[in-house]
Amino acid sequence: MKFLSRFYIGLILFFLYAPVLVMIVFSFNSSSSVWVFEEFSTKWYLGLLSDSTMLTALKHTLIIAVLSALISTVLGTAAAVGIMAIRNKLANRLIMGATNIPMMNADIVTGISLMLLFIFIGKLFGMTESLGFATVLIAHITFNLPYVILSVMPKLKQTDANLHEAALDLGCTPVKAFFKVILPSISTGIMTGMIMAFTLSLDDFVISYFTCGHYQTLPIIIYNMTKKSVTPDTYALSTLIFIVIFVLLIFYNMISSKNEAKTTKRRV
Amino acid sequence: MQKENIVELKDISVAFDNETVLDNLNLQIKDKEFITLLGPSGCGKTTTLRLIAGFLEPNNGDVVFEGKKINGVPAFKRQVNTIFQRYALFPYLNVYENVAFGLRVKKMREAEIKEKVTEMLKLVNLSGFEKRSIDTLSGGQQQRVAIARAIANHPKVLLLDEPLAALDLKLRKDMQKELKKIQQQLGITFIFVTHDQEEALTMSDRVVVMDGGKIQQVGTPQDIYNEPKNAFVADFIGESNIVDGVMLKDYYVEFSGSKFECLDKGFSPNEAVDVVVRPEDVDIVPIEQGMLTGIVTSVSFLGVHYEIIVDIGGFKWMIQTTDEHFVDDKVGLYIEPDAIHIMKKSEYSGLYGDYSSYSEEHDLLSEPLEVEE
Amino acid sequence: MNKKSFGNRLIASPYIVWAAIFIIVPLVIMVYFALTDASGTFTLQNLASLGRYKKAFAISILYAIIATVITLLLAYPMAYFMTKLKVSSQKMIMMIVMLPMWMNFLIRTYSWITILANTGIINTFLAKLGIGPLKLINTPGAVILGMVYDFIPYMILPIYSVMSKIDNSLLEASDDLGANAFNKFKKVIFPLSRPGVISGITMVFVPSVSTFYISQKLGGNKTMLVGDTIEYFFNLGPDYYNIASSISLILMILIMISLFVMNKFSDDDGGVVI
Repeated sequence: MKFLSRFYIGLILFFLYAPVLVMIVFSFNSSSSVWVFEEFSTKWYLGLLSDSTMLTALKHTLIIAVLSALISTVLGTAAAVGIMAIRNKLANRLIMGATNIPMMNADIVTGISLMLLFIFIGKLFGMTESLGFATVLIAHITFNLPYVILSVMPKLKQTDANLHEAALDLGCTPVKAFFKVILPSISTGIMTGMIMAFTLSLDDFVISYFTCGHYQTLPIIIYNMTKKSVTPDTYALSTLIFIVIFVLLIFYNMISSKNEAKTTKRRV
Repeated sequence: MQKENIVELKDISVAFDNETVLDNLNLQIKDKEFITLLGPSGCGKTTTLRLIAGFLEPNNGDVVFEGKKINGVPAFKRQVNTIFQRYALFPYLNVYENVAFGLRVKKMREAEIKEKVTEMLKLVNLSGFEKRSIDTLSGGQQQRVAIARAIANHPKVLLLDEPLAALDLKLRKDMQKELKKIQQQLGITFIFVTHDQEEALTMSDRVVVMDGGKIQQVGTPQDIYNEPKNAFVADFIGESNIVDGVMLKDYYVEFSGSKFECLDKGFSPNEAVDVVVRPEDVDIVPIEQGMLTGIVTSVSFLGVHYEIIVDIGGFKWMIQTTDEHFVDDKVGLYIEPDAIHIMKKSEYSGLYGDYSSYSEEHDLLSEPLEVEE
Repeated sequence: MNKKSFGNRLIASPYIVWAAIFIIVPLVIMVYFALTDASGTFTLQNLASLGRYKKAFAISILYAIIATVITLLLAYPMAYFMTKLKVSSQKMIMMIVMLPMWMNFLIRTYSWITILANTGIINTFLAKLGIGPLKLINTPGAVILGMVYDFIPYMILPIYSVMSKIDNSLLEASDDLGANAFNKFKKVIFPLSRPGVISGITMVFVPSVSTFYISQKLGGNKTMLVGDTIEYFFNLGPDYYNIASSISLILMILIMISLFVMNKFSDDDGGVVI
């Protein structure tokens, strides 16, 4: 039974990683084929460094991911705190309902509705080209916000209301009390929200596809490449991204398990 | 000792969602006294505390601090500090930083902070715990940190919201003594909230008994116990037999079909009254010597004494005695004049003081940790 | 009685304005486009003509349902077996399962072409054994495989996280009360893991039913799903925004209905005996 369950886990993991493995292997192919492996070569990786379209797209992706993560984190955290303070049940339900829409809805519907809005507004101001940097950024902030709010909200609910009062009691102004006491208590929620926002933004294709205009992000470039024939340089790029994320994740895990070890030790 | 009022509550009313929580409350709290707000859940005692702390504003009436009206003054500007029911220690700060919190807000110099924190931790017997994190402390230790954190700020008034409710019995007893000691050492006013009558009686200079958003009685523990103002107070504080009576004239009362001498006066002739007799003040005597007679319906052994329920004309009395008696025994009861306390009729008359449902009464007494928000 | 509050409700207002403009208004505009023609006059023509696309809807729903069921069948045992491992191994496996989610799904989908193509890895291998070549790519099976592959982490994660929180004393209690392994699963583990299953199903079904990339790459443009149809019309230009909006509107309504039904399932907790 034990063996069987491990075998099964192994099988699923193999299924998950087979295409990844294929991708890595063919990124080192010396020919431009992604079917037949000829010889080991790193030329596609070197080629990436001189591919300006790719590098520009990478820059765009990072800019959008960083900005949208930061803005949605600030806006979303403030929203979560504010929504908690709204006592009207109906208003509360309406706001949370609206918040859930971008998470629940299909990306394609979100993307299209935003695109229509941007074109509509563009027409109002007589612009011929309404899609671009600003619209991708707005779109990304919009789909990031619910994730930030929903990771901060539970932390707020767990926070002892008396902590806030204790800070006021000890002489903090309400604003200071928020930064000294509430923020540290919900910081893990904020971090989780921000990381989620960052990775969602990094990976988004569908919504960017409808809202980016000529401001192309990496997934858009990759999409355009796969429309024609894929050469190993796309694989090389993806392999690089994979490795970066892999390293980051290991790093993150090491930090969090270290923290956890500390708290467990303290409890003993 | 100065005896001027440090806190005054004048005609205070508070309502949440149209539900009255405090109803025209008036209270004067003297400087340097240990005063306890005592009452069941929902009586408004915590609300009263939060008014003084500044977490809540009254719908009506004034909160006065040292002669000045402080309505609208936010909590962080008031010279009072609070110890919360569940301590509300900052979990991500260690013991030292928790105690130093208020001092840092005041931007005190580091050396002063260190001196102050060390002094405070010594006062609460936690020297050497500076670097410990909060979640490694026991409930009692957390309680001490909360005390140190609050008094480090030199409040003129310390507010304590059921601070001992989460501790077990033994620890609670120790902390009661310790709190009293700290209060005397610091010479500041303590306003203490509890639903535990025993705690209130042992610790306080004065007790404020509350129910239904109103003050029922204010007085020293002895006053409250010996001279309860109405059936609610008599029942809430200790055990009481409360029976209907008629004040025939001064020093002369009739209840349970007999006439008794008593020490009370000032009622109109033949005024209907509530009569309180504490269970320990009734003596069981042979029938022929009894002023009242009844039948024993239940006997429980409690160690120091027996608790006996006696049926007298359909009304069940509780009597505490060191002599053993048995169910169905016919007994006589003897009551000294000074054991009889007469109260005016009130809205609580007839609600308390009968031990027909004795076992339920016991369940109520072992009331669990009350969480009042 | 007092609601907890750590700040002023006014600080939610920037977000509320944002949500109104960028969540609600776009949907209103989409409805407007769905109910007008290219010149902006009101018409039900778009919605009336949707009959032409019922095949795309039918196929999308069918594929999405098949993909969701397969994903559930694969993911449930995976999640269950994971909870039986050491805690440290559980964490590691979780990380490994999540890792591909951070890779671009376009690439992950595309890699399957290399595996499934007529000259791809599987067929090359089969040819060495003297079998094949099998037609793997550009089949409905490949599209469904793509959906299962892309979205299976979204099924494993919620089921695992619910299962790992099941109080061990409940399992001990069921042993204590004489339940055998099958009964323990049926009466304790499955009902408790249901919220995870429900959210897993929605997280797989919604992207599957609305996808437009997987079908193009692995279905070879032969199978037009709803997503493909919408994308196709949008690429034709502004004249076709109306019809594209009306299809999107129906897709959204479809998704909302399925979410609603799912929610109903998760609401009557433990009420149904399975």
